[in-house]
Amino acid sequence: MTELRIVDIREITRIIRSLYNYDFSNYALTSFKQRLERLIILYNIGSGEGLVRKLEEDPAFFDLFLYEIAVPSTEMFRDPSLWRWLREDYFPSHLEKSIGRFKIWLPACVSGSELYSLAILLNEMGLSDKVQITATSISDKCIDVIKRGTYDLKKLEVSQENYKRCNGSKELSAYYKLEKDSIIRNVSLIQNIEFRKLNINFDNSPKNVKLILFRNNIIYFNPTQQEKVLQMLHGSLAASGHLVLGIRETISGINTNREFEFINETESVYQKKF
Amino acid sequence: MGYKAVIIGGSAGSFQVVTRILNSLSKEFPLPVLLCLHRLKHVRSGFVEALSLKSTIPVVEPYDKESLKPGRAYLAPANYHMYVELSNRIALSTEDTVNHSRPSIDLSFITAANAYREKLIGIILSGANKDGALGLNKVHENGGITIVQDPNECEVKTMTQSALQLTKVDFVYSTDQIINYLKKLR
Repeated sequence: MTELRIVDIREITRIIRSLYNYDFSNYALTSFKQRLERLIILYNIGSGEGLVRKLEEDPAFFDLFLYEIAVPSTEMFRDPSLWRWLREDYFPSHLEKSIGRFKIWLPACVSGSELYSLAILLNEMGLSDKVQITATSISDKCIDVIKRGTYDLKKLEVSQENYKRCNGSKELSAYYKLEKDSIIRNVSLIQNIEFRKLNINFDNSPKNVKLILFRNNIIYFNPTQQEKVLQMLHGSLAASGHLVLGIRETISGINTNREFEFINETESVYQKKF
Repeated sequence: MGYKAVIIGGSAGSFQVVTRILNSLSKEFPLPVLLCLHRLKHVRSGFVEALSLKSTIPVVEPYDKESLKPGRAYLAPANYHMYVELSNRIALSTEDTVNHSRPSIDLSFITAANAYREKLIGIILSGANKDGALGLNKVHENGGITIVQDPNECEVKTMTQSALQLTKVDFVYSTDQIINYLKKLR
């Protein structure tokens, strides 16, 4: 296919806004363009005009569109040092002593890498019963994939290495079984997790959350959208709640930054100011 | 001259070359230098420090949406793709690997070529796979300057040879010639 031009992207964005009321105009242009081009090839759509037509004619396609636009995490236990910190420092000092259910929210689940990693960690720490985890996603298909437990075999090797590096107490293979060309994760790990579809405006997001894991998502937004989303996350956090971003993501350039304290610079962890 | 950026891609055997280039630039080098070098996914620290040791210009691993400034080198962080946005900012991504690589040299070069058009200088150095060949071709298509390290000088020739196969480049240069070329930019 030919490369998408800016006018093509604007037209796609416009049609989605008018038909589905989702506004992608403040997504970072380069990666959004790349996701669109990838999707056009994957579904053999041919061109930007083809994609516009498909979106107009086939409402059922829109959920697939959202599924393909969302970028899954690279592998399980990405950045092992963060997971080590959660295991050895954060959860012992914040969760073990907490009274009542400790709410954790993963706002943008795609493949479930972060979710299963978290579930495994809490399971090994014996803390699963103390938390209430909400997993939201922009696409029903994402939720479906996560609930079935299927996972990309390609990502297994790095995931295993990561798991070892974050001092997992078993072998990662204790948590999945191999199928032909994929792996099926142990879905009992996520049986108590609440799943919900959430639009990109984050309407009806959870409240009083103690910990939000939102790593490597704001990289796909421009600064305007980053500001909006950060304000939303701030509103969802309980007083002194924590937000984890990706290690190369920063909120230093946006206004909401003033509402947060940077408590772990190496792992990009912020705390809502009291 | 009117150039807006230099982008350098390399893999196996490129570290020494990049170090020599960074050691030779003047402190007032007039352009940002983007470095997309293959590296281990899980090793976050050490690389930028090693490159900084003797570099005359600051070498940083950029944060997402950081604005590009002249006289600084930007090293693609481990396990992220590094793009250039039209707004002259860095954008990072965790999308799938390309040619088994993240950072992908192709993606860095293609996005930089789209952002800077003919005002980009692209350089491919020693390396062991074909990553970078498509990207350099895009720089060429958009009217930018293309330079490939002389394969005879490369520790591993695959990357430079793949680039040369795909694109009729402007210059095939030794490390010294690359340095001289960059020094002449004002």
